[in-house]
Amino acid sequence: MDLGAFEADNSVSCRLVSQIPDVCRTEDCCLGIDEAGRGPVLGPMVYGICFCPVSKKEELKELKVADSKTLAEAEREKLFEKLDKANSYIGWALQILSPNVISTSMLQRTKYNLNALSHDTAISLVQYALDSGVQLKEVFVDTVGPAEKYEEKLSQQFPSVEVTVRPKADSLFPIVSAASICAKVARDHVVKGWSFPEDLGDVDTDYGSGYPNDPKTKAWLLKYLDPVFGYPQFVRFSWSTAQTLMDSKAVSVHWDDDEEDGEKAAQRQNKKSMLSYFSVSAGRNNQSPAHQAHRFFTERRLKNLDTL
Amino acid sequence: MATKKKRAPNGENDSWVAMVADSVIDTQNSGDPTFVRLKNPSTDTASLYMLGKGDLQLYEVKAFEEEFHSWFIGQTVQRDGKLLFITQMDPLYLILPYLVKSGKEGKFQPVSQLLMDEEFPACSRLLSCTSSSASLHHVTDEKEVGSLKFHRYSQEKTMNWLKKKVDRTVVALKKRNISVGGGVKSSTYIRVKSESHCSEEDYLRYAHGLISEYISDDLSKALLTHLQLPELTSPKEAEPPSKKRKISDQPVEAGEDYSKFNSADFARKPPKKMTAAQKTLAKVDKSGMKPMSSFFNPKVKAEKK
Repeated sequence: MDLGAFEADNSVSCRLVSQIPDVCRTEDCCLGIDEAGRGPVLGPMVYGICFCPVSKKEELKELKVADSKTLAEAEREKLFEKLDKANSYIGWALQILSPNVISTSMLQRTKYNLNALSHDTAISLVQYALDSGVQLKEVFVDTVGPAEKYEEKLSQQFPSVEVTVRPKADSLFPIVSAASICAKVARDHVVKGWSFPEDLGDVDTDYGSGYPNDPKTKAWLLKYLDPVFGYPQFVRFSWSTAQTLMDSKAVSVHWDDDEEDGEKAAQRQNKKSMLSYFSVSAGRNNQSPAHQAHRFFTERRLKNLDTL
Repeated sequence: MATKKKRAPNGENDSWVAMVADSVIDTQNSGDPTFVRLKNPSTDTASLYMLGKGDLQLYEVKAFEEEFHSWFIGQTVQRDGKLLFITQMDPLYLILPYLVKSGKEGKFQPVSQLLMDEEFPACSRLLSCTSSSASLHHVTDEKEVGSLKFHRYSQEKTMNWLKKKVDRTVVALKKRNISVGGGVKSSTYIRVKSESHCSEEDYLRYAHGLISEYISDDLSKALLTHLQLPELTSPKEAEPPSKKRKISDQPVEAGEDYSKFNSADFARKPPKKMTAAQKTLAKVDKSGMKPMSSFFNPKVKAEKK
């Protein structure tokens, strides 16, 4: 698997694709979607699709693809090689969502949650297959969130395709298993070969599974916590594990969209709460003793200083 | 109640970020520029100013300060996101309050005698500014006895001087396309329409307001009169009465029969327990507010011209 395109800049979302087999453009095809790396606090989340003609489903079974979780890493690698070599009738595409993309999406001003991000990534991959001329008839998806809702969303998006969303789809449908293998292999490669853009010197890569409940992962997170910047981009800042550690160990940072209670915030900012304008006392004697600067200055947030 | 995040008290800042003209910090000649605390003529409290090298120029120091800003300076972080603006200023503004004060005595005096202030000893340095002695005649009557010059504050001259400042400010405001009309609350707010409807009075008032930042309240009021700008009435008085009275010769009749509430069997129910929000609302000053029902009355047709 050539990850060069992603490794050139591992802070973004990157799509890797196989060649589109010619039969897929002429025959009715089925497509499976699965993801790898949804839960870890470290590393990217990878979305994979695999597609092949409906008539070749049996051949796919003969490759003995199975749910990626039941396979050892070496077996997964082998299976991916097989899938990749079967490029006469199997195609795949991957979307690598770097941890930085996940962090910035989930923490941006208008929150974009992980489910929405997942759905949109899946949709964009299916759209990619359609745009490439794959004759899609069936789509199988391992669910994210409630299956019915997701199925409805995808069906509406792709009215010409029959969408099946099932929990554990990766063990039910070989095409989903194949997608899960592609995604998992890509994630493993990315995590192993992660080059830290930060200047961290020799990075200790013994971070365990990357899952929040892994003590090794926690220890690693503590070790690489910078009081000002927090973590390297390898860490998903939006994970509560990371946030809790930063809240307790790092310098506190205030953003202007931090949620605070109205009156409390007003007090801290030394401003009046809206309610105070309606209270009897404030309404009457409005002559504030303090000098009110001209609006030229207040609009520009310019103040006099009395000391440096 | 524990707050989630607490701010540590402000640490000491050993650096700051400032916008300064190159000429200010060019220290080839004599000495470094220094920050000084002087009496702010508008607020009568201490404000920070800067005297250029050799005390030849006066600069005012304004800080851009907004919440949620910090600096990255080199390899350090500064929590204080202030940006200082050090801009040239006419020292006469700072000398003026001392002149006004002594003007009440009505005597001609040497200025060096006037500029003494225990609280702000640096004020005497204002006289070394190049423009100071040359511009004193704008605001004082002068007498020369031998080589000595004596000054006496003149309100009339000062008004004329300030009017010129206002006029110049108007020119600058127009040139810079500064929005002087009402209604605009933020300079970062993008205006779709260009404000061509701003009247000359808007500009004058705005400029007067700006100049008033540099003079005392009394002078500001006098200047307003001098500029022949009427004092603005407070918007409260300008507001129309909340309800139009119907003009009619008919005897006034009650719209609703309230008498039923007076009957003995109409016992007042004890007030229900209010929620915290309702209690807060109940405390609100309702004077001057229209009742909700007034918004549903048929509108009185506006008279056609």
